[in-house]
Amino acid sequence: MSTVYFIAQQTMYFAIPLLIVALAGMFSERSGIVNIALEGIMIVGAFFGIGFINIYQKTMSGQTLLILAVLIAGLSGALFSLFHAFASINLKADQTISGTALNMFAPAFAIYTARMIQGVQQIQFIDTFYIRSVPILGDIPVLGPILFKNAYITTYIGLIIGLISWFVINHTRFGLRLRACGEHPQAADSVGINVYRIRYAGVIISGVLAGIGGLAFVVPTSTNFNATVAGYGFLALAVLIFGQWRTNKIFAAAFFFGVMKTFASAYSGIPFLKGLPISNEVYKMIPYIATLIVLTFSSKNSQAPRAEGIPYDKGSR
Amino acid sequence: MKTKIFQNEGFTSFLSSLAAIVAGLLVGLIILFVSNSKDAIPAFVMILKGGFEDGSRGLAQVIYFAIPIIMTGLSVGFAFKTGLFNIGASGQFKMGAFVAIYIGVKWSSVPAEIHWLVALLGAMVAGAVWGSGPGILKAFFNVNEVITSIMMNYIGMYLVNMSIVKTIYDSLKNQTKPVLKSAVLPKAGMDKLFNTSNISIGIFIVILAVIVIYIILQKTTFGYELKACGSNREASRYAGINEKRSIILSMLIAGALSGLGGGLLYLSGSGKYIHVLDELAPEGFSGISVALLGMSHPIGIFLSGLFIAHLEVGGFNIQLYNYVPEIIDMIISVIIYCGAFALLFKQIIKKLITKPVIDTDNKDNVEPVPLLISGADKVSVHDEANDVTRQEEDEK
Amino acid sequence: MEYVVEMNNITKVFGNFKALDDVTFKLRKGEVHALLGENGAGKSTLMSILFGLYQAEKGSIKINEKPVKINNPNDASSLKIGMVHQHFKLVHNFTVLESIILGRETVKMGVIKKDEARKKVIALSERYKLRIDPDAYISDITVGMQQRVEILKMLYSDSEILIFDEPTAVLTPQEIDELMKIMKELVSEGKSIIFISHKLNEIKKVADRCTVLRKGKCIGTVDVETTSKEQMSEMMVGRKISFNIEKKDIKTGEAVLEVKNLTIKTKDSKKNKVNNISFAVRGGEILCIAGIDGNGQSELVYGITGLMPINEGQVLLKGKDITKESIRKKSVDGMSHIPEDRHKHGLILDFDLKQNAVLQTYFKPRFQNKGFIKFNAVAEYARKLIKQYDIRSPRDEDSIVRNMSGGNQQKLIVARELDKDPDIVIAVQPTRGLDIGATEYIHKQLVAQRDQGKAVLLVSLELDEVMDISDRILVMYEGEIVGDLNPKEITVEELGLYMAGSKRSGGYEN
Repeated sequence: MSTVYFIAQQTMYFAIPLLIVALAGMFSERSGIVNIALEGIMIVGAFFGIGFINIYQKTMSGQTLLILAVLIAGLSGALFSLFHAFASINLKADQTISGTALNMFAPAFAIYTARMIQGVQQIQFIDTFYIRSVPILGDIPVLGPILFKNAYITTYIGLIIGLISWFVINHTRFGLRLRACGEHPQAADSVGINVYRIRYAGVIISGVLAGIGGLAFVVPTSTNFNATVAGYGFLALAVLIFGQWRTNKIFAAAFFFGVMKTFASAYSGIPFLKGLPISNEVYKMIPYIATLIVLTFSSKNSQAPRAEGIPYDKGSR
Repeated sequence: MKTKIFQNEGFTSFLSSLAAIVAGLLVGLIILFVSNSKDAIPAFVMILKGGFEDGSRGLAQVIYFAIPIIMTGLSVGFAFKTGLFNIGASGQFKMGAFVAIYIGVKWSSVPAEIHWLVALLGAMVAGAVWGSGPGILKAFFNVNEVITSIMMNYIGMYLVNMSIVKTIYDSLKNQTKPVLKSAVLPKAGMDKLFNTSNISIGIFIVILAVIVIYIILQKTTFGYELKACGSNREASRYAGINEKRSIILSMLIAGALSGLGGGLLYLSGSGKYIHVLDELAPEGFSGISVALLGMSHPIGIFLSGLFIAHLEVGGFNIQLYNYVPEIIDMIISVIIYCGAFALLFKQIIKKLITKPVIDTDNKDNVEPVPLLISGADKVSVHDEANDVTRQEEDEK
Repeated sequence: MEYVVEMNNITKVFGNFKALDDVTFKLRKGEVHALLGENGAGKSTLMSILFGLYQAEKGSIKINEKPVKINNPNDASSLKIGMVHQHFKLVHNFTVLESIILGRETVKMGVIKKDEARKKVIALSERYKLRIDPDAYISDITVGMQQRVEILKMLYSDSEILIFDEPTAVLTPQEIDELMKIMKELVSEGKSIIFISHKLNEIKKVADRCTVLRKGKCIGTVDVETTSKEQMSEMMVGRKISFNIEKKDIKTGEAVLEVKNLTIKTKDSKKNKVNNISFAVRGGEILCIAGIDGNGQSELVYGITGLMPINEGQVLLKGKDITKESIRKKSVDGMSHIPEDRHKHGLILDFDLKQNAVLQTYFKPRFQNKGFIKFNAVAEYARKLIKQYDIRSPRDEDSIVRNMSGGNQQKLIVARELDKDPDIVIAVQPTRGLDIGATEYIHKQLVAQRDQGKAVLLVSLELDEVMDISDRILVMYEGEIVGDLNPKEITVEELGLYMAGSKRSGGYEN
């Protein structure tokens, strides 16, 4: 049983960032802007978040520090995403190229700045955020160990983000208008909706979430930030596509991949798997192979937002 | 009149690439200043000088860096022309490199004169196979090739690492074993010419590849079919073209080009080994920059590959002033970013040059001028006759 | 005279192109005022300015005698101007309710109050007799219902001035009558209607006055009842047009194309799109498949030409079974296809004219040698087509096709497909969106093919076109043939009944 709890807890570490970043992608894409720069924005968010922790951990610690870091990560992600928004919306540039440029810039920037300031590229931090067990909630049978033991508040932040996202997209005026902009911007424009503003909002939200996702990825799984998020931003895109751009399916997809990733990294902690003569590399490949297989079967009936990737021209009809 | 030269597509493309380069370099200069204003100017000059800093040895270094990224650039550019984004060049490159080294280490029975050639061919095959995966998935299952290529990058990386450890591993240095002498690319006297051992006939193979790709794309019916598929898949079907076959062949060729790049780099005899680390081959991503800067045209790619290599050598050199070479990647990413709206720049030039003509007769032979500026190669033309506005639609 | 809308001296320029040149348009309260003109005359542009989608360079607008500035649809909306667009502005995966309230949502702290909205929508729907299902998805409902949704959008925001942009393009004659009734009902409730069209019959039926635009200029405003169709069309086009095409009296030959028991299914629909259809096209005849858009005609053509797979049945060309042949083989064997969507299928917009000219023939020995393109031969051929078919373009054979006008793009396709000397030409809506000149030209070409003894299969939604040039009409309804008619022996109204599925004839009764 403890193995199951272990798997569940590890899955959280991997699934939550995937969830947050996939939702980031959803907000952007459902407003009509393809955002493959999630990887780069995660790096920027993680860089500033971890950097903040690194600098202030002498004077602060614990959850306060982490929450502030989360805010910093979100803010930096939002600012970085503005470049993508500007290029895609105002200049109507190719969104894939703009996203690729951001993805290239982020790690170089992280390495350059880290090395210029502190000499080495890895930014260390001390983990004072680990929650061994949430008081009261952690003692609930079954649910307690799964959700409320060996956790980080980033987990809960992620789940809350998930719920809020679902509500906003489906039940608010903003959500309705955002969806219209992503499917048929001319329709939205014809009823007086400012497509440019909504799309900016979509991209900025994706920047905030991806930035937070970057931090949420690094904190539970490492003690330093090394200018990379190991392709997570792209995995999140796969989660988005597998989740057909809908919050509930994204949720399920994120956890599916989280489990895959858990097997890949933590299999040595699972007695059954440790004994098998399968090389480490094969485990590492599993999430990616799983992604390929899943995408193969889910791409036929794509529910991608119809207008995504096409720059909106107010002069066109 | 003077407007003629500005109507030439090639010239305006070149100008806009130039503008993007200038913008990128300026940003680099600013970053240098912000980090350490004292040495900013000399460091910047050093970046600009690039390979010329070191005479013929520097040039050889530029060529050495350029070879793999021109190949991956050709790979990405060729795929672009046929409508696909080959972000998987990295994985294809690494697979090619591995197979080349493997043949170089293990296949000692191959005659010495052609050992290197066989290794290169093996690299091409490996790259082609690796590229065909995303191609097949796209053609038959309509899966977005960006995601599948990225997945293949990671799967390839792990596969190569695993295979190296099992077959050609130097456990002390955690890298591949050295290849046999016969597998190293011949120098053909280039070492005397450039006064360094860091050169080989690789550059000629690259030039050959550039020419071959150019001919395929511009002069053959095969290239016509590929470009048709890339531009309008539905119309290609209507024309009787087997678009599934075209997509797969296109990725095969693109993969082979990247694989060849990997082979050329690791068989150059410059002491390059694959380290067994969880790192994606950066040459694959540089290839994207090269292709975008070179406007996906083979000649453009050749030149931009040399240019970016030139910058990279410069970046390597500025460590002298205690700057970090990653600044070059930042400069390049800004160039790409600006390149994304290069078309915008082209439109501005066109607007400034062409005389405004108010034509109420709307004679059928007047070009409807684009309404507003829109993105890369997607011109927004308001066609009143059809009461719609044309944009190239994204295919998903 | 009380005008509820006055648009005075409007000039609108797009880049180098003057879409509207000093146009004045006035709408009286409670009237149905038609705006007549060919495609490209500027009617939609003028109304888009009224609706706030565009701003005019010169001119002024008065609403209810007060000068106003309309900068965006919100301004128009607050001035109680509403518009039903020609191409519906509906989101395919929204519900009817969501579509109607989009942009005018009732909210509390950002959250949409769906129940209140629903009540209001149902009330409006009942008051104006506009049948809708609030929870249906737009992609699932009929075109008629989609149009009603568009109308309800206007009424939901209390519009008083209603603009209808080519509303009848997608309706059956019976649905058109229904729409006319709805418009009369709206007018009786005090609304004022502007009705954009290029169809004289409808304008005659429902409008009080009509303003004619031609190439961006206002030709005049007339009283509909006292003006003849011929007079209005002369104003629209600038010259007298004959409504009849000269056709040679010719004896039809053997069957060139035969379709036997053809059935085509698509994955998004349970019913067969094409249901057990059989017919033959003979040499020397123009056979027209008429019907409302969406009754299987597109799928039928895609199946015959090979763009879509056939589930059951056979296609024979000159007696040979070509059902399973590749698209290319069919083309080489003598089938030409002028496609429905010239930008999706017919042309590669980023290629130049000469590359498009050989789209169907580049692989022939005439244009290539061992895989290498013979550029001179290709260019020469393109020039020949340009001359023969009078195709106008900025740089002749080197023009990028995207920069050509719709009419010339279509001429290029027609030129290419007819020059192959095919045995059968399949033309699907070949004159859609083209002006009268280009339309006349293409009709002439198709008739010329027929006069030479070739077979022509025409698929059309334009009743005039169907009646004017076909020798025989097959009406398709819900995937089946419901009538085999002689255009000389029936009226447009009768044709409409067949198209709406209200009538079936000889052998096609269920």
